[in-house]
Amino acid sequence: MEFTILFLAVAVVMGAAWWGTRTLALALFAATLLASIATYLHHASDVLKLSF
Amino acid sequence: MTRSLAITLNALGLYAIALVLLVAFGAQLVLHELPCPLCLLQRIQFAMLAVGPLLNVRFGPRPSHYAVSLLTAAAGAAFAARQILLHVMLGDPGYGSALLGYHYYTWAFIGFAVAVVALAAMLLFDAQFKADDKAEPVGGFVRAAVWLVLALTALNVISTLLECGFGACPDNPLTYELLKRAG
Repeated sequence: MEFTILFLAVAVVMGAAWWGTRTLALALFAATLLASIATYLHHASDVLKLSF
Repeated sequence: MTRSLAITLNALGLYAIALVLLVAFGAQLVLHELPCPLCLLQRIQFAMLAVGPLLNVRFGPRPSHYAVSLLTAAAGAAFAARQILLHVMLGDPGYGSALLGYHYYTWAFIGFAVAVVALAAMLLFDAQFKADDKAEPVGGFVRAAVWLVLALTALNVISTLLECGFGACPDNPLTYELLKRAG
């Protein structure tokens, strides 16, 4: 569900960039980028099996 | 580089992003390979790459607009690198099928790296940032690029909702959760 919301948020940012104000678009972009990084950190729980 | 050339190149960037999103959709629909959560995150970052060019064609080129795409490309490259490292061990078949010898997440990493270089190259040309207070009229070529990227992002909203449903997206999705529940 969080991925659907993120895609929706990106679509809203694009809409704001095209029809809205620059400030609104930049603010929404920052929120969406932070949300996607938070989603990544939430999911990146698997241990990396690396051997260098 | 003139302001109008920069805007044309930004529109071409939007078409390139649309192509990436189309290829991802093609693999999903033709090969019936559903994107995993990390794959979806990388696809989201590709869509977010379009925000910078969109701002450039709407409000005129500014360094901050290129920074928006640079930040997105850095995040996308980090997500793709994580998936590469998950499958880097010998004997690991990787996730999904390979395209021209590389898995999609490897192509995604290459794509984000290319975006970083292209954005840095665009930032080299200062003349595009000279303010002339005159809004450039948006032509059909630019408008079509914007609508294409917007439509593909909207399609991804629907596709992801069908794939994941209203719960957590499975690590290795095999069916569309929402269609399974409806069927």
